[in-house]
Amino acid sequence: MNTSALPPAISIRGLTKRYGPLTALNDLNLDVVQGEVLGFLGLNGAGKTTAIRLLLDLLRPSSGRAFIFGHDCWLEGLAARERVGYLPGELGLYPDLTGLEVLDFLGGISRQPVDKRRRQELFDRLELPHSDLRRKLRQYSTGMKRKLGLIQAFQADPPLLILDEPTEGLDPLMQESFYTLLKDAKQRGRTVFMSSHVLSEVERVCDRIALLRKGELVLLSGMEASRRLAPRRVRVFFNEDVRVPPDLPPGHEFVESSPRTWHLNVVGPLGPFLTVLARLPVQDLEVQEARLEDVVLKYYREGAP
Amino acid sequence: MTGFLLLLSLSLKRARTLLIATGLLLAAFQVLLVLIAGSIQRTGEFEQLAALLPPFVRAILGPAMASVMSFGGIVCLGYFDLAIVIALLALIIALATLPASEVETGFADLILARPLRRHWIITRTIALVLFSILMMLTLMIAGTWAGLATLAPEGAQWPSPGMIGSLALNLGLLMLCWSGIAMAFGAACRRSVAGATTGLLALTALLLDLTGRLWPPAERFAWLSPFRYFIPFDLVMGRALPVENILVLWAIAMSGFTLAYFLFSQRDISH
Repeated sequence: MNTSALPPAISIRGLTKRYGPLTALNDLNLDVVQGEVLGFLGLNGAGKTTAIRLLLDLLRPSSGRAFIFGHDCWLEGLAARERVGYLPGELGLYPDLTGLEVLDFLGGISRQPVDKRRRQELFDRLELPHSDLRRKLRQYSTGMKRKLGLIQAFQADPPLLILDEPTEGLDPLMQESFYTLLKDAKQRGRTVFMSSHVLSEVERVCDRIALLRKGELVLLSGMEASRRLAPRRVRVFFNEDVRVPPDLPPGHEFVESSPRTWHLNVVGPLGPFLTVLARLPVQDLEVQEARLEDVVLKYYREGAP
Repeated sequence: MTGFLLLLSLSLKRARTLLIATGLLLAAFQVLLVLIAGSIQRTGEFEQLAALLPPFVRAILGPAMASVMSFGGIVCLGYFDLAIVIALLALIIALATLPASEVETGFADLILARPLRRHWIITRTIALVLFSILMMLTLMIAGTWAGLATLAPEGAQWPSPGMIGSLALNLGLLMLCWSGIAMAFGAACRRSVAGATTGLLALTALLLDLTGRLWPPAERFAWLSPFRYFIPFDLVMGRALPVENILVLWAIAMSGFTLAYFLFSQRDISH
C-alpha cells in the first residue's frame, strides 16, 4: 500500500498543554502514517496520556492543533472520533453493568456498525466467554476488565486504534493474543497509536517509536534505526594474554578488560574493530544485538538530545 | 440523538431501583398521612394538636395554621414536610451531579472518546432530573388519591385537585431549581464538592427564609432564598401559586442548566 499519498492517521502540530506553571506537553509535532503501529513511550508523567486525551478532545490544548485522518480534533471532533477505537489507561466502568451491556452501549454510541461475528471472534481470542460477559463487572478481575476494554476498542474494527497501556493487567497468554490482534489489525491496514511501558512489547509490535521526556518529543525513529542508536555489546576471548590497544576505533568503548577477555560497547559498524582483532590471538567473539531498552534508558537517564 | 437516547436509557436503568423505591416510599407516606389525618378527624383533635405546636412553628405557619391543622392540611403535609423536602433535594442533587461522577470514574472518557457531543451529557442529565421529578410527584399524587379514595373518613374535606396540583408544581419547581444549581457546580467540580456546596447553599437558603419569616429585619434579604418562592402554607389556604414564584424558580433552574452547558463544554475531562 502506498501510504505516502494518504493523509496521516494522526497529525500533531505544536501541541502544548499547560496547567498553570506546569507544562505537561510542550510543542509536540508528530505524524502517524496510516497503517503503521507507533509506540508512544515515556516515563510516568512524560505527557503520553495528556497527548492522547488531547487527540480525543477530552483535554483542551493551550496551543497547537491536531488532526485525525485530516479532521481537526476540536473543530471536527465528531468526524475525527468516528474513526477511533480507544482504550483508556484506566477503564471507568460501572460495576452494576454486565460486560455485554457495556459493549452494546459503547458499540451503540460509536456510530460504527459492530459485526457480531467479529465481536464473537474477539471474545474467543481473548477468552471471555458469554457466561462471563453476562456477569456484573463488580465480579470481574483486573485482567477481565482489561480484556473487555480491548474488545470495546476493537469491536467496530475502527481505522485508528488509540491504546493507552493496552497490556497492563493482562497475563502473558492474553498478551500474546493481544499481539496477534494487533498484527491482524495492521495487516488489514489499521493504524495503531499505543502508549506502553513495556519496551519488549514495543520492540516486538511497533514499526516506529516516539519517545517523550518531560512533555517533549526527544526521539522519533523507526525500530531498526532506534536500535542502531544503541551500542552492541561485544565480548572477545583470547588464547593468550594481550595488551589493551592505546586507541580504539570511534564508537568503541571498553566496559571491562582482562588479559584474556575484553568487554566493549560498540556503536556503529564492527569492521574497524575486526581489523584490530585480526592481529591478535582471538579464540572467540560474542556480539549481542543492540536492544531498544538501551536506547530508551539512555534517553531517560542521560537526557540525550 | 441515538447516543443521547442510549445514554439516557442507561442512566435511567442504573437509577431505576433508587427512583422506584423512593417513589413508592413517598406514595406510601402519602397513604399513611391520609390514615393519620383520618384518625385525627374521627376524634376531632385538630385543635388540640394545634395547641401543642411550639410558638415558633405557629409563627412560621402564620395564618395558614388552621388550614394546615385540618384533614386536608395533614393529607398535604408530604408536599412540604421538611424531611421529605430535604430527602427529595438530596436525591435530585445526586442525580444532577452525575456528569461530575462520570468524569471522576472515567466513564466520561469512554463516552466522549466516541462521536458524541459533550452537551448530550448535560442534556441527558436534565432529562433524567425532569423524569425523576415527574415520577416522584406522580407517585406522591397517586398515593394521596389512593389514600383518600380508600381511607378518608366520611365527611372529611378532601384537598382539592387544584391545591394538590399547585403543591406538587411548587415542590417540583423547587427541586428543579436546586438541580440547576447542583448541575452548574457538578459541571465544573468534583461530585463531592458539588454535592456539599449545593447542600450547604440549600441549608443556608432555608435558614435565610425561615429567619426572614421569624425576624422582620432579615426579611429584606429573604428574597435571595429560593425557598422564599416555595409557599406551601399559602397554597394549603387555597391561594393560587403566583406566576412570579414559578418564573423565579424556573429562571434559577434554567440559569443553572445554561451555566452547566457552558462550564462542561469548556472543562478538561480529567480524573
